[in-house]
Amino acid sequence: MIDIAHPPDSQEPDGEKGEKKFGAITMTKATCRHKWMIINLRGGYLVIEGCFHCRQRISQFSEEPVPPIDAYREAEHFWSHLGDFQASKFDLKCEECSKEVQLRDVMATMLCMRCDPECGVYKVGSRAKGGKSWVYVALCANTSHASGTCISEAGIRALNEYFNQDLHDPDKKIIVVPCDLRRSVDTCQGVVLADVGLTELY
Amino acid sequence: MKVSEMAAKAGLKTLNACGDKEIRGIYISDMVSDIIGIGEGNLLVTLQTHKNVIAAANLVDVAAIVFTRGKTPAEDVVALATKAGIGLLGFDGDTWTLAKKLYELGIR
Repeated sequence: MIDIAHPPDSQEPDGEKGEKKFGAITMTKATCRHKWMIINLRGGYLVIEGCFHCRQRISQFSEEPVPPIDAYREAEHFWSHLGDFQASKFDLKCEECSKEVQLRDVMATMLCMRCDPECGVYKVGSRAKGGKSWVYVALCANTSHASGTCISEAGIRALNEYFNQDLHDPDKKIIVVPCDLRRSVDTCQGVVLADVGLTELY
Repeated sequence: MKVSEMAAKAGLKTLNACGDKEIRGIYISDMVSDIIGIGEGNLLVTLQTHKNVIAAANLVDVAAIVFTRGKTPAEDVVALATKAGIGLLGFDGDTWTLAKKLYELGIR
């Protein structure tokens, strides 16, 4: 279980046997205090679809030049296009030990605006120490979580470490949590880090 | 160079009161999806004034944000930036003109 209130300090041995030699020092993946960098940065579209039959929602990241908007049937679901926003996806790689964390299950990131005290994301923010903690939600493809899956623990841990490793302010903390903590996708007022207003410029 | 010194020399308007951070680089982008990958301490120059920009800028810990072409964000956007400790600045000219000014000031 990840201690999401203290993510940057929660590095645990990952049990992998990879290692990289630095002169006389051998840095193993199990002991490395990772220094993450973004790799495989690619642009695309965060596409949100809904089933009018069961009212579930799903998301996908499309790397097509034009995001798909056609409705389609999948088993008992009838998925219809609800919206799309230009967004980016990336993976993380440790500069020290070369460990890579694939973030295939992360569709986008969202800043919690603390709209609902009953929401699990809100509660994480309330538990955080100090007034400079910001909670971001990593959004997975299973927006309604009907399948019971969400972002991997390894992905959440790496995102927390990456976004906290170079902060100017020692009191500031970025907390990234999985979206299955969110109480309601319908009432959530979070700000998704996607190009929502790009076409409103001109 | 500190944000306040740069703002004074480049003739920028201050849109909120925030801490005076060190500028470690400059990044020009109008796409939130593009900002997510930049390093901390950058001065972000953009035309975008919506809340998503602040959410992304906070995540990558920018030094400050400069809105060009005289664009000014809404009050709730300024409030969010202030809460996040992100300084907001305004420039009446276009992005290219500001880029030249910043280069001439020695900011790389």
